[in-house]
Amino acid sequence: MGVISQIQDQIIYYQTWCKNYQNILKMPLRHGPYQTLQNLNNYPWLWNLAKVNRLLSMVTKGREGNYRKANAAVVGKIVPNLMNLLNNLVEDTDRLVLHEDMVPPEILFAMGLKTWMSELLGILMPIVDSHSVEKYIDIAENAGIPPDVCSLPKSTMGVILNKEVPPVKAIVTSNSPCDGGMASYQLIKNKLDIPIFQLDVPYNFYNERATDYFANELKRMVKWLEEYTPGKMDWDHLREICEERNKMAAHELELWEAIRQRPAPLAAEAIYLSHLWCFNITPGDPSGTELFKYLSDLANENIKNNISAVPNEKYRTVLWNPPLLHFIDLFSQAEKQYGLTLIIDSMSYNRQPFIDTSTKESILKGLAHIIMTGPMARHTRGPAQNYFDDMFYLYTYFDLDMIFVAGHIGCKNTAALNGILREKCRNKGIPLLIIDYDLSDPRVVSHDGIMQQLDRFMENIMNK
Amino acid sequence: MSNHAENAFNFSSNQLLETALDNDNVPIGYACNYVPRMLLNVEPLFPYRVNAIGLTGGTELADIYMSQVTCSFTRSILDMVMDDQLEFIQGWIFAAGCDHLRRLYDNLQYNLAPNFCHILDVPHKSGADAISWFSQEIKALSLLVSEHFQMDLSVVKINQAISEHNTLMQSLQRIANFRKKEFPPFSGTQFHRLMHAVWTLPNQSITPIVEKIEKQLTEAKNPVDYKARVLLVSSVIDQYEWIEAIENNGALVVADRFCTGAIPQLKTCVQTDDPFYDMAAHLLQTNACPRMMDTFNNRMELILNTIKDYRVDGVIIAPIKFCDIWGVETTQVASFLKEKKIPVLRLERDYCFSGEGQLSTRVQAFIEQILQ
Repeated sequence: MGVISQIQDQIIYYQTWCKNYQNILKMPLRHGPYQTLQNLNNYPWLWNLAKVNRLLSMVTKGREGNYRKANAAVVGKIVPNLMNLLNNLVEDTDRLVLHEDMVPPEILFAMGLKTWMSELLGILMPIVDSHSVEKYIDIAENAGIPPDVCSLPKSTMGVILNKEVPPVKAIVTSNSPCDGGMASYQLIKNKLDIPIFQLDVPYNFYNERATDYFANELKRMVKWLEEYTPGKMDWDHLREICEERNKMAAHELELWEAIRQRPAPLAAEAIYLSHLWCFNITPGDPSGTELFKYLSDLANENIKNNISAVPNEKYRTVLWNPPLLHFIDLFSQAEKQYGLTLIIDSMSYNRQPFIDTSTKESILKGLAHIIMTGPMARHTRGPAQNYFDDMFYLYTYFDLDMIFVAGHIGCKNTAALNGILREKCRNKGIPLLIIDYDLSDPRVVSHDGIMQQLDRFMENIMNK
Repeated sequence: MSNHAENAFNFSSNQLLETALDNDNVPIGYACNYVPRMLLNVEPLFPYRVNAIGLTGGTELADIYMSQVTCSFTRSILDMVMDDQLEFIQGWIFAAGCDHLRRLYDNLQYNLAPNFCHILDVPHKSGADAISWFSQEIKALSLLVSEHFQMDLSVVKINQAISEHNTLMQSLQRIANFRKKEFPPFSGTQFHRLMHAVWTLPNQSITPIVEKIEKQLTEAKNPVDYKARVLLVSSVIDQYEWIEAIENNGALVVADRFCTGAIPQLKTCVQTDDPFYDMAAHLLQTNACPRMMDTFNNRMELILNTIKDYRVDGVIIAPIKFCDIWGVETTQVASFLKEKKIPVLRLERDYCFSGEGQLSTRVQAFIEQILQ
C-alpha cells in the first residue's frame, strides 16, 4: 500500500470523525445548555452514544481504500440520523411512539408520528461500548426477569424500568421475534401505563391467507394509531416512503450482486450495519438510498480495479443470527488473522424487498410481507424449514466456504435447531462454527473466549 | 395429612390406558392446551396429553438436538419419543404455542417423521379476526385427521364430542368445588392423579371413574388437614410428586392454574351451529397462557378470583426454567400479588420432579410467612 493511499485512508477517517462530532454538537446547540444538561441527566445513555467515534474506529481499523470509505460512510450515515432521533426526546413528544424493532416505522412516518425504537439502545450501545448495557441487564434481572431471557429484551426492559426511556405516548409491537421479546412488552406496557397495539404475525406466512390476515392487522394498527395518537395516515406520503425504500432495496441488490464476486469487493459492516440501520430505523430516507448507491458504486469500482475488500481473501462466511453486538470488531480481526471475509449476515437477508405501490391495499400487503418475512420473524417465529433453506441458499448464492452461527445463549429458538443444523452441515460437507456467547453481555463469554472459539475452529476444522 | 376419600381416587391410569389401546382406541398425542382435544374425542380417536412420567436418566438424547437451554418439558418429550417410549401414539398434533413447542415439532419431524404430524397456527390474540383464523385452522385439521384416519368427522359428530367434553368438565368442576370448602375431602395430589387420567384417557374410560368419585365425595366426612391453602400457578405439572412434595409440608394445594390442572380448563365450551368457531373461541379466550398478547388483565383477574373462591392463603408460582413467556409473566404476577399483600413464592423448576429437599425448605419457609 502506497503512502498516498495511507494518507487518503487517514483523511477518510478524520473527515468522518470531525463530521460526527459536528453532528453531535448540534444537539446542545439546538437545545441549549439547560435542556442538554437535563437530557444528560434523564438519559445517561447519551454519554455512551456520544462515544460513537469508537465505532468509526472499530469499523475502519485495518480496512483500506474503498472498504474503509464504505464503512466510514455507514457510520457517517448513522450519526446524523441518530441526532435526529434524539431530537424526539424533547420535540413533538405528543407524537412520539415506541415501536419494536420488528415493526418497521414506515407507517408511523407516513402518519406524521415520531418514533423511538425500543431496542435501539440495546443494539447500539454495546456496539459503541461493549459493557454499556450490563447495567440495564442487571436492572431487569434484579427486577425478577430470569437470567436466561435474551439480553436484548432484558436491556430494553432495564432502560424502561430505570425510567430512562423518552416520553413516548403509545406502543406498537408484535409477537416477534421470540417469546422473550414478545413477553417483555407486557411488562413495558405495565410500567409505562400507555396504550399498546400488538401485531400478530402468523406462524406460516407464505400464503395469501396469511398476507391478508396480516395486512388487516396493519389496517387495524393504523386505525388504532389514529385513535390513540395525533397521527393521521397520509397514503401519498406512505407511497413516497415505500418507493424510496424500493430504490434503496434496488441498490442493495446491486451491492449483493457485487459481493458475490470472489474476492468480495466490500464486506462486513458495509453490508450488514448499513442494512440494520437503513431498513429498520430510517426506511424511506433518501440519504439511505444515496448510501446504498455509494456502497454499490464503491463495490463495483473495486471489482473494476480488481481490488478485494480483504487483501488475500481466503475464506468467505455468512453470520447467522444478529451480529455479535458487543464484539463488533471480531471480523476485522478474523480478516487480518485468517483472510476470513464476512460476506453477509442473516439479518440483512430479506427475500421480498420490493413493495408494490400501485394501491393502498398493495402497499399494505407489501409491508405485511416484509414484516412477516423479516429475517428474525422468518427464522425464529416460522418453521425450521425457513431457517435452513435460507441458510443453505445463501451458502450457495454467495459462494461461501463455511457457516458461522452466532449462538447467542438467550436465543432458544435457534439453540433448539443446533442439532439438526450440525447434521445437515455434516451431510453437506459445510464447515460450521456455532459461537457460544451472549448477544449483548460480554460477561457471559469474553472477547477472548470468542476469539479462542474462532482460533480452534480455524486450526482444527480449516487446518490453519 | 389424613385422607378418607382415598378409595375413590384409587385407580390405575396405566391399566385403563392399556385397556383403551387393546380396544383399538387411537391415541393422538398433543402437548399444548391450544390443541382442540374435543375434536380428537371422536371415536376411535382420543387425545393423549403427552408427558414424560416414565422418563429416567435425564434428556441426553434430546439435548443433542434441542440444547440444554430449552424448556425441559419439550426436551423430555423428545427424549421419550427418541427412546421409543411413546410409540403407542398414532398421530401428533402440535400448536405453535411457544418457541419450544414449535422446535419440538421441528425436531420430532426431523428425527422421526411420524405418519401423522401436524402443527396448528395459533394466533396470539383472542379477537374476532383471530378466532376466524383459528377456526379455519381447526377445520383444515379436521379434514386432515378425517382423511388420514379414514373416519367420519362430521359436524354432528364433532358437536357430540364437544357436548361429551362439556359433560365431563362439569362433573370435574363439581369435584373441584369440594376444594373450595374450608376442609376439602381430598388432597391436591389426589386431584391431580385424577386430572392426569382425564387428559390421557378416552372420555368413556374416565367418565365412570369421575362419576364414582363424585358420588363418594358427597358422602365423605373426614377432611384433609393442612396449615395453609395455596394456589399453584404454572405451565405443565403432570408429575403429581411436585404437588405431593408441597403438600407434605402442610400446604394444601386447593387450586391449580396450570396447563394440566383444573383452572381454567374445566370451563365448558359454548356451543353454536359452528363447532370450529366454538372450539376456536373457547381455546383462544379461555386458556390463560401468557403467550396471549391481549389477555393479561383477564389472567390477573382469574388469579384474584381463584384466590377468593378457593380461600387461598398464598400463591406458589412455579415456572419451568428457560420458559421466556412464563419467566417474564412470573415477574409481573409476583409484583401484582405483592401489591395486593398476597403472600407469593416463586419456585423455578425443571419439568421432571427433582430437588425435593430444597423445595421442602422453601415451602416450609413460605408457610411460616403465611402464618405470621
